[in-house]
Amino acid sequence: MFTLKLALRYLSGRKLRSFLTTFAIIFGVMIIFGLNGMLPAIEKAWRQSVSASTNQADLTVTSETRGVFDANAVGKVRKVPGIAYATVSLTRPLVVPPTYAPKTKDGKPISSFMLNGIDYESASDVRPLPIEKGRSLLASEKTVLISSNLAERTGLKIGDTLRLPSTTGTTIFQVIGLVDTPPTPGAEALYIRLGDAQRLFNLPGKVNTIEAQFSPGSDREEVRTAVLNALGSGYKLGGNELGSELLASMKLGDFLFNMFGVLALAMGGFIIFNTFRTIVAERRRDIAMLRALGASRGTVLGLILAESLLQGVIGTAIGMAAGYAMVAGILVAMGPLFEEMAHIQLGGPTFSTSTYVAAIGLGIGITVLSGLMPALSASHVLPLEALRPPMAEVVRKRIGKGAITGIILIAFALAGLVSGDIGLASLGAVLFLAGLVLVAPALIRPISTLFGRLLAIAFAREGQIAQGNLVRQPGRAAITASAMMIGLAIIIMLAGMSTSIQSGAMGYLNKSMRSDYLLMPQSLVLGSGNVGAGPKLIKELRETPGVASATTLRLATTKANGEGLQVIGIDPGEYPELSGLVFSAGDPDSAYRALADGRAMIVNGIFAAQNGVKVGQTLTLQTPDAMREYKVVGIGGDLLNAKLGTGYISQDNLAQDFNETADLLIMANRAEGASATKVKAAIQRIVDKYPAFTLFSTEEFREDLLETYKGIFAAFYVLMLMLAIPSLIALVNTLGINVIERTREIGMLRAVGATRNQVRRMIVAESLLLSMAGIAFGILSGLWMGYILVAATKVSGFVMPYFFPYSGLLLSIAAGLIIGVVAAIVPARHAARLNIVSALQYE
Amino acid sequence: MATIETEKLTKVYGKDETAVIALNGVSLRIGQGKFVAIMGPSGCGKSTLLHLMGGLDRPTSGRVIVGENDIAQLNDKKLTELRRRKIGFVFQYYNLIPVLTARENAALPLILDGIKQPEAHERAAEWLARMGLKDRINHRPDQLSGGQQQRVAIARALVTEPALILADEPTGNLDTRASDEIAHLLHRISEQWNRTVVMVTHDPRISAHADKIIFLKDGSIVDETQLSHDDDETDIVRERMEEL
Repeated sequence: MFTLKLALRYLSGRKLRSFLTTFAIIFGVMIIFGLNGMLPAIEKAWRQSVSASTNQADLTVTSETRGVFDANAVGKVRKVPGIAYATVSLTRPLVVPPTYAPKTKDGKPISSFMLNGIDYESASDVRPLPIEKGRSLLASEKTVLISSNLAERTGLKIGDTLRLPSTTGTTIFQVIGLVDTPPTPGAEALYIRLGDAQRLFNLPGKVNTIEAQFSPGSDREEVRTAVLNALGSGYKLGGNELGSELLASMKLGDFLFNMFGVLALAMGGFIIFNTFRTIVAERRRDIAMLRALGASRGTVLGLILAESLLQGVIGTAIGMAAGYAMVAGILVAMGPLFEEMAHIQLGGPTFSTSTYVAAIGLGIGITVLSGLMPALSASHVLPLEALRPPMAEVVRKRIGKGAITGIILIAFALAGLVSGDIGLASLGAVLFLAGLVLVAPALIRPISTLFGRLLAIAFAREGQIAQGNLVRQPGRAAITASAMMIGLAIIIMLAGMSTSIQSGAMGYLNKSMRSDYLLMPQSLVLGSGNVGAGPKLIKELRETPGVASATTLRLATTKANGEGLQVIGIDPGEYPELSGLVFSAGDPDSAYRALADGRAMIVNGIFAAQNGVKVGQTLTLQTPDAMREYKVVGIGGDLLNAKLGTGYISQDNLAQDFNETADLLIMANRAEGASATKVKAAIQRIVDKYPAFTLFSTEEFREDLLETYKGIFAAFYVLMLMLAIPSLIALVNTLGINVIERTREIGMLRAVGATRNQVRRMIVAESLLLSMAGIAFGILSGLWMGYILVAATKVSGFVMPYFFPYSGLLLSIAAGLIIGVVAAIVPARHAARLNIVSALQYE
Repeated sequence: MATIETEKLTKVYGKDETAVIALNGVSLRIGQGKFVAIMGPSGCGKSTLLHLMGGLDRPTSGRVIVGENDIAQLNDKKLTELRRRKIGFVFQYYNLIPVLTARENAALPLILDGIKQPEAHERAAEWLARMGLKDRINHRPDQLSGGQQQRVAIARALVTEPALILADEPTGNLDTRASDEIAHLLHRISEQWNRTVVMVTHDPRISAHADKIIFLKDGSIVDETQLSHDDDETDIVRERMEEL
């Protein structure tokens, strides 16, 4: 109780500093907590939409591959005792191009649909559709049932037409009736005949869902097991999970932001450590007096820890509230976008218990941990110190154990880097940082001497005193420089990474998308929502005058050795001509040849890395009707699929094993000498018939992508600069304490004739020296960590050369120097304004 | 019965060639309710003696007996407890916690001893009233004068009702008038409340309030003077000091 009260008094006694130090914790917790509330909220909305549209039958069976299978499989299900009725459907999300999308009355296009191709006769036994109006039977082809909700919103009536993209171009459907399904938060449901759906997706005879109704009185569990047994391997209970590609991208973003949050917290921890060290130094006499009065070591320890605990609790609480507000704001802002794109109504932020635990644990844990060492040193303050007259701290030569340990750590770190093993190298980065922090006190003297010369140009007289002040207390100077170091190291590290990602992605793009033209599907990531094209499109394209060659990409999903994998079908002969994968293992030529020869596969880096796949290994792929063995002949990938586990096989194998024949992405090259404008116009005329595709010249696409990257990285840099704020606080703290401690000395300087201006300049020079030392350390460790991070992405499978972050380096040097000057403003003014007489009498 | 007793107390700082003997076999006994001043030139070992008597430092050899305890034998925990309950300290620089009020500062030792806040505050307020600070109990140190702050520190030293009060240059930071007040107060503590007060000072005017003055030089007791308080004895003390 008492310790808490005293802690609270001390904290509120220096509100600004308390706030500034707590800010770092608030910031970190806000990011970690807030962002972890965003993804689950979106996921929850997804799940709700998916479950709302599927879980109405007694039993739903889909393929383990999430793909299609033969419609005949339903025969096996019907024979299972306890099954009264069974039906099949081909249910897929479909994104409609803006020109085709029906518009609401206020002009918002509705472009995202869930297309249900149903076998109407058997479906009505299993899951009768509540027909509200119109004909109940999809008696003729190319008719569609829409929800009355959609009709109401868009004004579509029975008899109107709805244009949908299809593999043959466009199919026009006639609205034949309205279904009164409850307004689901997902995509608008459309019901068409199974045959129409199969033609639309170019999947004759294929379905992706079996639904069944149990006979009354049957044992549900028993029937479920019997159905799975009857179907054989490759089937699972439950509907297809949709939107996994989107979630994968979001998870990647989530991971990055979490990293950022942890870094911010680590910074916060460092600042708190620094602050508490200064606090303990400031209050040495108070503490000694408490000890003399009979406070035990434990009480003193508890006192400092209570203070850090209080700061941790307050910072975490504010951080969580801010995180909640931030995410609620983001969700509200994103709401209309999600509603339009995916028909999902986002709820409020959703937090799991683990998010609470992580935010509270990290926020409070790091703060208390940072306070622990200073608290321990406080508990060792001798009561005698209360009786001695106050003295400036004695210079302690610290080139002792600490520095030697530091040098050993750095030596290990270097060995790790040289070893080439990424694990050792990243361990090395941590050791390097720790080593630098330990060696820093010993380095302060040479570094400040070095920069002192530089500074002497601007601060001829004061520079030397400033330098002396730093050298006198190398320990504290080093702590501040290290805080600055960590701040800048993080900026430089992230700059190194972002430069490399940007340049690396462009390199990938140039290599793996060498074709002149790209026919992109609606959704950039290959996957759900895209309808693709039948064989006619590529044929027409090849026949177009001026087109030298064209090739396509196809897609299926599966599981390899139990892990999710998307399989891309390529033409092993043409694909390398127009595009090409970036290989990190295996010989490209023989790999492509192997694809053509049999069941062989090239897997991309992320899949290989996550599952330890090597060239020459055999993977067992789940296909709709059997397990198939594919031999890994190479490791390589392209840019668009870099973040998803992907395997590349021949289109022949994809058709044979996975039943997929629709072209999802098409690349074409112009013939030599052909007119660019004419060829593009000719291709555009063909693409116009296939509204599911958009034509890009690869040049345009690259520009677009570059713009996107630039936007993302601009935001990234802003975040990085936020990380520099704690360094500012650390510097202000140290300088402030230095001024307080040297009050008498400053009085003396003024008494012997130093002008106010000179005192001010002395403090600024000191601050600049500290920042320069911090910048020097920061650059060293930042470049290292950046290099490690980039190398680490190699391990995750995204092969990326390291690019030196010139701009990031300049940015952080500038940021460091600005921070140096800004941090000195308040302490310098304070020092300059000191009253000489009272400063001399200051005890 | 002696409140505090030292036996051949010796303190040596450093080792071998750099060794400095701060205190050399000092033996003394101070009875209950006595007010003793320790005087001597700079570096005579008077502060060291006080530190050893208060258990703030450990002797190289010899014993310090407070009550029934030889404090050189106690571990840190027991020693801390002893300081908390049996000894009150008054420092030259008051050493009040700046963020606490006068009452909270005075109540500190009780709180540290686990006494409930209402009772601790009540007892602290009583002592502050005895120190003439009745209307200052809710002031923070920076709202008090130097003499007032030192009186808060004295109240803090007395609040646990210790038998022994150790004061290290208690007037070193005060002007003449405030110094006199504090000296009077210390005298009253020994006389009226029967506490043993040991004070280190170099100011003859202040030590003249004591019952006895022990003169220290080069780590040894060189003289003891009983004071009668019949007339102003400041000059006698000053002369004695000048001889040293």
